[in-house]
Amino acid sequence: MAFSGPVLLKRIPNDPQQRKLLRYADYVATGGYASLKKAWGMPAEDIIKLVIDSGLRGRGGAGFPCGTKWTFLPKESFPRYLAVNFDESEPGTFKDRYLSDYDPHVLLEGIAIAGYANKISTSYIYIRGEYHKQARILEEALQEAYANGIFGQKHPGTDIVHNCYVHRGAGAYICGEETGLLESLEGKRGWPRIKPPFPAVAGAFAKPTIINNVETLACLPYILEHGAAWFKSMGTPSSAGPKLFGVSGHVNKPGVYEDELGIKMSTLIDKYCGGVKGKYRAAIPGGVSMGILGTDQFDAQLDFDIGRKYNVLGLGTAGVIVMNDQTDLVVMLRNIVRFFAHESCGQCTPCREGTAWMHKMLNRIVAGYGTAKDFDLLLEVGLSMGSMPGTTICGLADGANWVVKTFLQKFPDDFKKRLKRDVVAGVTLTPAGAVV
Amino acid sequence: MAWIVEDRLKPYQPVRSEPYLTAQIKDHVAGKYFPRYPNRRAALLPLFHVVMHEYGYIPTQAIDEAAEFLGLTRSEVQDAVTFYEEFRLEPTGAYVVNVCRSIACELCGHKEVLAKIRDVFGIEPGETTDDHKITVFEVECLGACEQAPCALINEDLHGTINPGDFCAVLKALPATPAGGH
Ligand SMILES: Cc1cc2nc3c(=O)[nH]c(=O)nc-3n(C[C@H](O)[C@H](O)[C@H](O)COP(=O)(O)O)c2cc1C
Ligand code: SF4
Ligand code: FES
Repeated sequence: MAFSGPVLLKRIPNDPQQRKLLRYADYVATGGYASLKKAWGMPAEDIIKLVIDSGLRGRGGAGFPCGTKWTFLPKESFPRYLAVNFDESEPGTFKDRYLSDYDPHVLLEGIAIAGYANKISTSYIYIRGEYHKQARILEEALQEAYANGIFGQKHPGTDIVHNCYVHRGAGAYICGEETGLLESLEGKRGWPRIKPPFPAVAGAFAKPTIINNVETLACLPYILEHGAAWFKSMGTPSSAGPKLFGVSGHVNKPGVYEDELGIKMSTLIDKYCGGVKGKYRAAIPGGVSMGILGTDQFDAQLDFDIGRKYNVLGLGTAGVIVMNDQTDLVVMLRNIVRFFAHESCGQCTPCREGTAWMHKMLNRIVAGYGTAKDFDLLLEVGLSMGSMPGTTICGLADGANWVVKTFLQKFPDDFKKRLKRDVVAGVTLTPAGAVV
Repeated sequence: MAWIVEDRLKPYQPVRSEPYLTAQIKDHVAGKYFPRYPNRRAALLPLFHVVMHEYGYIPTQAIDEAAEFLGLTRSEVQDAVTFYEEFRLEPTGAYVVNVCRSIACELCGHKEVLAKIRDVFGIEPGETTDDHKITVFEVECLGACEQAPCALINEDLHGTINPGDFCAVLKALPATPAGGH
């Protein structure tokens, strides 16, 4: 473990007053696009090998090894597309926005490197519709990049011209799921696709397509610059490299901070965020799909093994949401389940019905009308709606499953004390300690 | 809820003779967006962003016109457009205030923001002030959780909101926004 200073955030000062948007010239003056020039001098296969060797895993939520994903592209099948996942709609997640707010060219350089390595014809940056300002920043940065020969040119040594465009979404969380994203890119409703075929074989416009998260791509220039061994010197054996952590909720200094994977959550909060506001009670480790960390898990190590070790789904987007001991966890679970019910695309019955019914049950419990049975019923519905693979098309249902399961398992008393125990069927209920 | 279509399908609005997709809009979209994709359909989202920007909502007639322009059936366009929350099928006030209601914002007091808006302007989420100046909606996470509670006023993000100050900002806005919708 050796993290000696910011990597992805090296151009973005800690002090908010000093932060500013880096233009092309600023970026180049601080070493920008040197990695791309270096990449252009290497055989494409060597870059893919370097990325595999670095151990870089996807930063969009699933943690899939990046270089390995690239090798799934069928040989000699063209054109190929790159879809950059800048949908960033998972509550608690804002790291990609922060990066593009100030340093958009690092993403473009990453795209250019991935484009060259994979012989991509067109890269689409799929950015969520609510990111108006960020879309404008990227459009301007792209203009500068085009003017300087980063895009719109043939990949060296090939006849493939590489173009890059911004494509704006329009308010739908499910378009962050990679195949929902592709449907949306094609001008349809963002309904995730049944896999296989996988996007690497038949993705955008039925052509081979790579989908990568913004932060994943932003790591590439640094891996090219410093090498695989350097990247691996940070983090843990399973989880290499630096990582952006977005911390929100009850902390004194919420924001985006960078450290290596495997940092303890307590360290992250104390070292960077000025500590918890009040007394720590619980935290979501990486966006609401991941479930909740208990009061005794404050020291959880934030890396890709977190799921196995601490009974959560995984690291997700590393968007940490901290809750103090004044928090009403039943209300918070209702908020999260409401989110999933609202954003479910409705294709799969367990997800569409399950999230909607769990939301209704939680509303009832919060209003004080919950019955003793509701705890088990909620758990049963939660458990039977996800569990990939098998019952649903995409991972949204899994997220809802994990969040309900872990809230109920780790904080059962918060729920049980809200349930009215002496209910007789057919009798009008009065609220038991109704809370809004 | 993305899968509930009924309550987003509005009665057919009266047809007007001049098209909503003006020659200017069509030229702009054809010139800028068609070359980016292997087919016209993929320009659907960019096209409706232009329509939203121009009119502040998506008139039913524009869906018909878009179908013809993109070479699609009306149902294909309707199907896509109704899926996306940002594409509103009814006119709103001059300013749309999207208040985030997701977890970080609920932890940090989004309810107080809505309560203050109710007090000051007399509107609940989904409603518009009588002078058609402000429409308020509750939306899911805006990707600015470190600035909770936060809201968008049209395209601009306002973070770490103090409810009173925020309503003062809203009050002080000119009757019509400078940069279109
Ligand atoms: C419901 C759902 C929403 C998702 N939203 C996002 C998102 O907003 N951004 C993102 O990068 N990945 C998101 N993902 C993960 C993507 O499907 C995909 O794994 C990722 O973009 C791959 O890029 P990476 O390997 O670089 O991480 C989501 C997945 C699911 C199931
Ligand atoms: S799991 Fe839910 S969100 Fe995913 S495809 Fe099925 S219904 Fe849609
Ligand atoms: S929860 Fe409100 S911006 Fe993310």
